[in-house]
Amino acid sequence: MPTLLGIFDSPTGVAQAVTHLKGRGFTNLDVYSPAPFDEIEEAVDPKPSKVRLFTIVGGLLGVLTGYAMTIWMSLDWPIVIGGKPHASIPPYTVIAFELTILFGGIFTLIGLLVVGRLPSVKLGPGYSARFSAEEFGLIVEVPERDVAEVDGLLRASRATEVSLVAA
Amino acid sequence: MTPPPGESIAAMIRQTPVPPDSPTNRDVMDVFMTTPGLGWLLLIGICLGGLAGGATVWIYQIYKGLGIAGYSHPVFWGAYIVTFVFWVGIAHAGTLISAILYLFRAKWRNAINRSAEAMTIFAVFSAQLFLGIHVGRIWKAYFILPYPNQRALWVNFKSPLLWDTFAISTYTLISLIFLYVGLLPDLAIARDRTSGWRKALYGTLSLGWQGTSRQWKAHARTTLHLSGLATPLVLSVHSVVSWDFAMALVPGWHATIFAPYFVAGAIFSGFAMVLTVMIPVRRIFGLEHILTDYHFENMCRFLLLTSTIVTYAYLIEYFIAWYSGVEPEKTSFYLRAFGPYWMSTWIMITCNGIIPQLFWFKKLRTHIPTIFVISTLINVGMWFERYVIIITGLSREYNPAVWGHYTPNPYELMIVAGSFSFFSILFLIFLKLFPVIPISEVKELLIHDRAHGSGHHAEAN
Repeated sequence: MPTLLGIFDSPTGVAQAVTHLKGRGFTNLDVYSPAPFDEIEEAVDPKPSKVRLFTIVGGLLGVLTGYAMTIWMSLDWPIVIGGKPHASIPPYTVIAFELTILFGGIFTLIGLLVVGRLPSVKLGPGYSARFSAEEFGLIVEVPERDVAEVDGLLRASRATEVSLVAA
Repeated sequence: MTPPPGESIAAMIRQTPVPPDSPTNRDVMDVFMTTPGLGWLLLIGICLGGLAGGATVWIYQIYKGLGIAGYSHPVFWGAYIVTFVFWVGIAHAGTLISAILYLFRAKWRNAINRSAEAMTIFAVFSAQLFLGIHVGRIWKAYFILPYPNQRALWVNFKSPLLWDTFAISTYTLISLIFLYVGLLPDLAIARDRTSGWRKALYGTLSLGWQGTSRQWKAHARTTLHLSGLATPLVLSVHSVVSWDFAMALVPGWHATIFAPYFVAGAIFSGFAMVLTVMIPVRRIFGLEHILTDYHFENMCRFLLLTSTIVTYAYLIEYFIAWYSGVEPEKTSFYLRAFGPYWMSTWIMITCNGIIPQLFWFKKLRTHIPTIFVISTLINVGMWFERYVIIITGLSREYNPAVWGHYTPNPYELMIVAGSFSFFSILFLIFLKLFPVIPISEVKELLIHDRAHGSGHHAEAN
């Protein structure tokens, strides 16, 4: 299927174009943007990012590891220290807390990579250095017969230029 | 604008001149893409000299043992631990700016957070050096980690020193992740505009980032969650460091105020270090329009706030020493101010408590040379704060028969100087290799203002 690339200079323009295209049934689209803009992300996909699942799993795993490790190791060779029980919760909470943060943070990073489909060796179709400057690119796959319509639609949404990146 | 009907697909593939690059990209790229100037080379030369001196002394110390340090009974925590705590404190500004101010939506942090995050990492590295230097037998340093061994022994999880291990390692890793996640989009900017080894470096590190909306959405969520995780972390790290002292029974150490006292001091010293370093950087690289006086003024307000908290803690310490009626506490605090270490104490009180109060005056907190001088004095004062706490505490414990005296000897001072060189070298290299201003965050504000009118900006601040 042909892929069209529309270039915009404002985030609102892209967001409007995305809404129009999705309304017309062209859902196979993506936006290159130099910075994060809520309106674009809302228009492309209003669902919250899945990264949050990674954080909670990591955090819970961390707190469990923290307590399990400290308690098991203290019981594995029991030595009384400071007259406290072997499985002494208050001091072990410090370790469990730190591991919650550590595992939560590492899992969040993994979440970013998985959800953001990184690392990727090849850059996407139509990507250029203009989108890491200050312009926005809207990339959309359309059936051949709709190319002219989508082209008009993009221009109507104030695209500064439209080009065909793949036939 | 609509093309005439019937235009063929082939005709639509046309080349239009590419508009000039974003000015923000150019300004920031100029900092790290240009060949290092004479000043940079001179600075790094001096620092390499300092590092070589420190490294030589450390090697000599590994060979001879900790005896070459100025330790004298009963003071066996000296300049090494003082400087360790100092560096951990410096490390707190980055995460505070990046995480806590992010959660508070303080947009002014955008221009300053990258340099502060980088400083955090390098300060933690410098602090960790001292763990190795202070343990003496560096080849046994890994004993602190809970690893399965043939003696079937485990570490003592009830010891604050072990909590410290976990806190500092977690802090290092999370700060690195934070810095890297923030750098990702900027590395892609650099990848798109470089060639040769730099393109290979940025291309690899940017992991093929292209700023799709899916990536930005994941990125925003990641930043939010990392901030949420790093906020309690930054408060916990210096609390745990303070418990290294507060859990002991030494007079002057065994106080519940230590955790908040240390955290406020850490933020105080960290912000001061960011100012001390960024004022010359801004001047040298001409970043005045990105890193404005407004940013520095806000930093000064933070210094004023944390200075006041720290001063309050100093006063409360004295009050509690008197109010507790405990003789060793009273003696310890009396000797702090009027004993053999009176000079350190008064340097600490002057630099941390009195001088920063000048920032009440708008004239002074917007006058850049004044800010530079005061922030440097705060760095000095905060080193002395740790010196006062550690050395006066240990040298005047319960039994006057075992009182002693400690002064850092030249070997220790060379290692301390070496750590400052180490920190500076890492930061100088960072300046020439990575964007020191978060480009995409600054652009986010610029594009946002252009799209929605600049009245928004004042409100966002």
